[in-house]
Amino acid sequence: MAKTQAAAFGQTKPAPVKRRKPIGIGDIISYTILTIAAILVMMPLAWMFSTSLRPTQESFHLPPAWLPTEFRWENYLAPFDSSVPFVDLFINSMRITVAVTLGQLVTCSLAGYAFARLRFPGRDLLFLLLLASLMVPFQVTIIPIFLLMRDLGLIDDPLAIILPGLINAFGVFLMRQFFKQMPQELFDAARVDGAGHIRSFLQIALPLAGPAMATLGIITFNATWNAYFLPLVFLNSWHKMTLPQGIALLTGYMGSGNPSVVMAAVTMAIIPVLIVFIAAQRWIIEALTRSGLKG
Amino acid sequence: MQMTGLIPELTPRRREAFVGYLFILPTYVGFLIFILYPLVESMRISFQEFSLLRGSTYIGLENYAQMFADGRLRIAYINTIIFTLFAVFFNAGIGLLLAVMLNRRLPVLMRNLYRSIFFFPVLIAHTYIAVIWRFLYQQDTGVINYYLGLFGVEPIPWLSNTHWAMAAIIILDVWKNTGFAMLVFLAGLQSIPNEYYEAAQLDGANERQLFFRITIPLLSPTIFFILVIFMIGALQVFDTIIVLTAGGPGDATRSVVLYVYEIAFRTFNMGYAAAVSMTLFAIILVLTALQFWISRRWVHYE
Repeated sequence: MAKTQAAAFGQTKPAPVKRRKPIGIGDIISYTILTIAAILVMMPLAWMFSTSLRPTQESFHLPPAWLPTEFRWENYLAPFDSSVPFVDLFINSMRITVAVTLGQLVTCSLAGYAFARLRFPGRDLLFLLLLASLMVPFQVTIIPIFLLMRDLGLIDDPLAIILPGLINAFGVFLMRQFFKQMPQELFDAARVDGAGHIRSFLQIALPLAGPAMATLGIITFNATWNAYFLPLVFLNSWHKMTLPQGIALLTGYMGSGNPSVVMAAVTMAIIPVLIVFIAAQRWIIEALTRSGLKG
Repeated sequence: MQMTGLIPELTPRRREAFVGYLFILPTYVGFLIFILYPLVESMRISFQEFSLLRGSTYIGLENYAQMFADGRLRIAYINTIIFTLFAVFFNAGIGLLLAVMLNRRLPVLMRNLYRSIFFFPVLIAHTYIAVIWRFLYQQDTGVINYYLGLFGVEPIPWLSNTHWAMAAIIILDVWKNTGFAMLVFLAGLQSIPNEYYEAAQLDGANERQLFFRITIPLLSPTIFFILVIFMIGALQVFDTIIVLTAGGPGDATRSVVLYVYEIAFRTFNMGYAAAVSMTLFAIILVLTALQFWISRRWVHYE
């Protein structure tokens, strides 16, 4: 799913100005439904946050209080004292996520540039083959990858997750599309100045690829931060696990975990996502303004 | 910056090719090791009686034959198909509805705010959402049953009843993912030129005609894209289920991927697991091909 988010970003120009008409019954119905839907979407998150700040014994209070009634910030310290090594999990998740994101930015921009702007025998076939691999679900490849990692002694090692994460066929596609749109004159001018292919890539293409790199970086960061399947397969000791694994375990068998503490942990785990979200929104607006200036 | 030392003395054309291969090398090494090799290897393992300790022996199509007699696999497939049908329908349907309403005349601030709210759950891990909703779904203490109770609904055994458990997973999935459909549909709607609507209105078309004669046909590539993406995603449902119900009660919510995971990594019957995963792969390939074929017939690409 995350791979396709890029398709949706980018096109956020405001709706065309419709004919000026007085607000009708249809508009009022729309507002109402949209508002109800927005409230329904927010409620579980509001419950999460307000519960995370309440004393434990009140977390099952009905009717639920949607806004925090108390501010027990000490609930946010509890995950650090629990049986789950929360700090380790956070660091593990962050380390894997940063390594995978940076790795993909390097491999995808290199390959995307080659497929977009360099000529070499077999180029289009190699690109198609890579694209076709997007149809292979990772559940199909996980068993041989598991056996491979076992032979390499990488079970319970973050490298087992980082290594397969370093490439991304979708990312290559995204970067290729971006590099293809760049005007040829830029590269011709560089060639006249005596720049080779590597310098054209590093000094001309890459500095202009900010928006595409940001899109890829955001998507990859989010997907890796949220990943559950691969860590579940490869990481099994407490100090090696990632945050989603740890929080699922903190919840306990059949939800026996302490709701306030679990919700405090989930809130903390969502914060990086929220930051990325806010950053992405600002980036979208910026990209819009820039394209507006050009146009 | 002296870079030429990296590249052997070659003709310009050969040098370009050399740099090209150099640039795709990291990606292709990864592709060969982590996609192509495992894919071929997975096929090979699917013909084996696999054992981590004793070594493996080839048993031909026995794993594939075994599937027909495997009642649990049949249930897992039925569950997965039911989940897929409902999840795709509601995710795409509600997403389209929200997008159409957001595309009406709205204050810009309101549109942007609602779009952000609807989209935000897409970015949160399935795991965390399942953790939150497991508390909300509790029969006696859960928030959802409390509010339904205000309308006179008896407490629903969301996670302990075979039918309701599947409903619980579908509702969660729609809550989380419909925002993605909404975002893509909204972008699609905004790319439809306004002149089409104006021309049709001059000809006296009403709102319903505008929607079914202009919006839907012009939006069909987007609808098609969303259907494919959601279908492929839904067929692989795993994270939500393992956290929310762990496949239960009984086998009521066990999906194919969860089943594969359990045979492969809990009982280490990897030959059989590989064979089952191959069937899922085949289904996804066929669906993708079919979708593209159908799309040629009814999708309007401009």
